[in-house]
Amino acid sequence: MSGALAAEWTKLRSVRSTYYVLAVVAATPLAAALMAWNGAHAWDAGTAEQRAAWERSQPLEAMFLPFVQLSAAVLGAMAITSEYATGMIRTSLTAVPSRSAALAAKAAAVAGPVLAAGFAAVSATHGIVRLIIGDRPLGDYDAPFLDSVPLLLSLGLSVGAVALVGLGMGAVLRSTAGAIVTVCALLFVLPVVAAFLPSPWDERLAGVLMPDLAMQLAGAAEDPLLPPMGAFAVMAAYVVAALGAGAVLLVRRDA
Amino acid sequence: MIEVRELTKRYGPTTAVDGLSFQVSPGTVTGFLGPNGAGKSTTMRVLLGLAAPTSGAALVNGRRYAELRRPLCEVGALLDATAVHGGRTAYDHLRWLARSNGIGVRRVAEVLEQVGLAGVARKRVGGFSLGMKQRLGIAAALLGNPGVLVLDEPVNGLDPDGVRWIRRLLRALAAEGRAVLVSSHLMSEMEMTADRLVIVDRGRLIADTSVKELAARFQRGVLVRSPRQGELFGALAAAGASVDVLPDGGLSVSGLDVARIGELAAARGIPLHEVRPRGASLEEAYMQLTGGDTAGLAAEGARP
Repeated sequence: MSGALAAEWTKLRSVRSTYYVLAVVAATPLAAALMAWNGAHAWDAGTAEQRAAWERSQPLEAMFLPFVQLSAAVLGAMAITSEYATGMIRTSLTAVPSRSAALAAKAAAVAGPVLAAGFAAVSATHGIVRLIIGDRPLGDYDAPFLDSVPLLLSLGLSVGAVALVGLGMGAVLRSTAGAIVTVCALLFVLPVVAAFLPSPWDERLAGVLMPDLAMQLAGAAEDPLLPPMGAFAVMAAYVVAALGAGAVLLVRRDA
Repeated sequence: MIEVRELTKRYGPTTAVDGLSFQVSPGTVTGFLGPNGAGKSTTMRVLLGLAAPTSGAALVNGRRYAELRRPLCEVGALLDATAVHGGRTAYDHLRWLARSNGIGVRRVAEVLEQVGLAGVARKRVGGFSLGMKQRLGIAAALLGNPGVLVLDEPVNGLDPDGVRWIRRLLRALAAEGRAVLVSSHLMSEMEMTADRLVIVDRGRLIADTSVKELAARFQRGVLVRSPRQGELFGALAAAGASVDVLPDGGLSVSGLDVARIGELAAARGIPLHEVRPRGASLEEAYMQLTGGDTAGLAAEGARP
């Protein structure tokens, strides 16, 4: 198992796509900084009515989260779909014949850097935005930093979860495009679908979808459907379901 | 040591491998021959644990592949040389393989040297020619210094230099006591390389034999040419041989050996332009065994 993990880690580090994805993640704090700078200017020039409308805006690290999550899903999916695309999966499975061990090694190798990059991206976003916003009452940036820690941890954790869902879907579908489309559906399409459902089903569905889970996990959601532990359990269920389905199919199918 | 026992593999209604049994012993190169689609690659995939057999077994050193703890140190395999990530360097490709089986990274440099890729170790594989990728695939197979090698069509698409290199390498690996299984759909490749031949067609075993035995089995009479053919025909027939006239004018004689035919002709003063044992080439033998071009075999007769 340690050999399999070392191999997956080496694989991940030796292709450019990994660094491209991390570069995209690293760019999000910069994009958030521009938005914050623009927001701060607008606030200073704004009328009292406009300010009242902006006051309760979502924190920027949460707004940018889906982009970080999607990048992470690409990294997770590519860890296995690039092998199906090239045929290298056969070499991988002759080197590590236990397929569940092979997938577990991939999951561990992806989770480490993705969690680190996720935490770094949301923390950097928060820190930079906080500096720019200053004491303006935009979002919650005027609250003490320690109050933000649970939110940052939850957002970072959700980035790791989405990456593993991407990996699991990659193992199931054996296609990068298929895996990414699935993750996009979870992150962007289903929330829209949920919004069109009649009440109370709209909130019930939205509450268990990926985008809302991180805020509920942090206890930062208004009107949460789930308590933090419940949100954690649902997030974990996504990961277990995706990786479990991937593992079962990987073991059963001929390579 | 490879043992394939009563191996059957079905894909839906198609039977790719049908009750196949054979062995590959240490110290020999075994050619695994058959037309495209005969089940060679499927057999190799089952042997390497990539596909599950419908019934029967394929064992390496007495165990199923999945039971091997450090498989690369027991079996080296090359299935498809182009199945590599083009963005990775040759060195990194071998490095992850080495790590997966706890093989020291120093070994990577050794095998790169052995296959002649040391100079391009830090280049991305995407820029490699097919020949270079084949060499990289061989390097990967040799990485764990395994006693068993399984190579699927390793000379496909290679230039003559590359073909000769692989031929010599396979002979050398067998001479070191390794069991080498090499598949091919061309007999001409195996003639020069293999000690033993396992010939399959439509998933079934057609022949499990040595190269020499196969050649002897397809020995068919003696070819004789003479400007006084009619006279010779009579003399040979009178001596008890059965004689056929070949379409190109020569005589195919069975029942007498070359020496007797020569003596008979000399006794009658009949000049001979050609007398030689008429063996089917291995290529023809193979074609006949696999039900390939039998019409061509009959018409062509002996081949120089």
